[in-house]
Amino acid sequence: MSVNLTKHRLILMPVLALALLTACSNTPSPPATLYDELGGQAVITELADNFIMEIAYDERVLPRFADSSVDRFREKIIEHFCWIADGPCIYTGDSMVQVHAGMQINSAEFNAVVEDLIAAMDKTGIALGTQNKLLDRLARLRPEIMGI
Amino acid sequence: MTAQHYSALLTTAATALVLGSNVLAADNPALARQGKILGTSAVSSISGAGGGGLIPWATIGSYADVGQRGGSVFRTRVDVDDYQLDVMGGLLGFGNRVEVSYARQDFQIKAASLRVQQDKVGIKVRVLGDIIFEQAPQISVGMERGSLRDKGLARAVGAKHTAGTDYTVSAAKVWLNGIGNRTTLLNINMRYGEANQFGILGYGGDDPDGKWTGEIAASVFLTRGLVAGVEYRQKPDNLSALREDNARDIFLAWFPNKYTSLTAAWVDLGEIAGARNQRGWYLSAQLGF
Repeated sequence: MSVNLTKHRLILMPVLALALLTACSNTPSPPATLYDELGGQAVITELADNFIMEIAYDERVLPRFADSSVDRFREKIIEHFCWIADGPCIYTGDSMVQVHAGMQINSAEFNAVVEDLIAAMDKTGIALGTQNKLLDRLARLRPEIMGI
Repeated sequence: MTAQHYSALLTTAATALVLGSNVLAADNPALARQGKILGTSAVSSISGAGGGGLIPWATIGSYADVGQRGGSVFRTRVDVDDYQLDVMGGLLGFGNRVEVSYARQDFQIKAASLRVQQDKVGIKVRVLGDIIFEQAPQISVGMERGSLRDKGLARAVGAKHTAGTDYTVSAAKVWLNGIGNRTTLLNINMRYGEANQFGILGYGGDDPDGKWTGEIAASVFLTRGLVAGVEYRQKPDNLSALREDNARDIFLAWFPNKYTSLTAAWVDLGEIAGARNQRGWYLSAQLGF
């Protein structure tokens, strides 16, 4: 017995729509923000701790942090990572320009810190694609950090 | 190469040496060397100039960043159906601004046991931009001077000269978050010159003028130290007697650290001196300091 599609379309259309909706709700939706993709506050906190460790063991950049308070740096960097990844945080630290003004950070120093961040992201187990998304956002801050 | 060329090259290198002198070492010796990010030294092309395998890129060789000096040496072998090309050479990089390079090319015609050797000297200057950290591309201008040691073949095939200079303008850009969320690079060159088969078959032919040719490279950083890419190089095809095809390759370059790189590629050099479909492999090792 063949099905007359035209006759049954009034029933078929809602059935099809329901089937599609059900299928959609069963597949996980992509992460809403980079913050979610990173893994939220727990991962960002772990990343900050690993980043601080990498800097502490990096002779190229540690002298620059001689006058910094580790606790304040940790608190503010967590806020900053969270905020830049579109997470639910407000960054209450100084601007990048304010923090780095007068330090005359050069290209080699900037790159050294990028390498430290990459090592920290590796240690934290962040996927390469996610790392690149975060790096891309942070890289845009370079003119506010270098050469001032 | 003329005395004029030598002195110009030496003057530029000396100036770069002075300008790139190490102001940072006094402050922090740990910052004295290799300030650039892994992979951004690129590799050594067959002319000795830094970049890809078949073409130079806008990158400045070595890991020397502003205020630093560095360099590298390399050894390359290209093996296609009827020919083999051995290259060795090196480059010096000053402050991620100036690159001077040298290569000795040794081209062998397998069937005839014939060798053609050529010296290549190059200089490249980054004039604008930063390949990673600026929206605009990095732009470099370069010169490659080739001089044949074995001139017989070039003369036999009707080349006008046994030495010649290519001028290149390169533009390159890296997107940290590129294709498939992988770091991606694109490089485009415009070259003005008249080299036949990279100069192996001499310079110039029936056409009195030099020619503009285009070159392109695209690559993806599969991981921080492993790059896969393609290159395409247009050729001037000056000699009416011998067709010259555009060259291309697909490569994989591995940067385990800032001291070493290894590159393997499949190359297609097309028709060379009458022998068609010259395809084969390319292997290169580079040591940096």
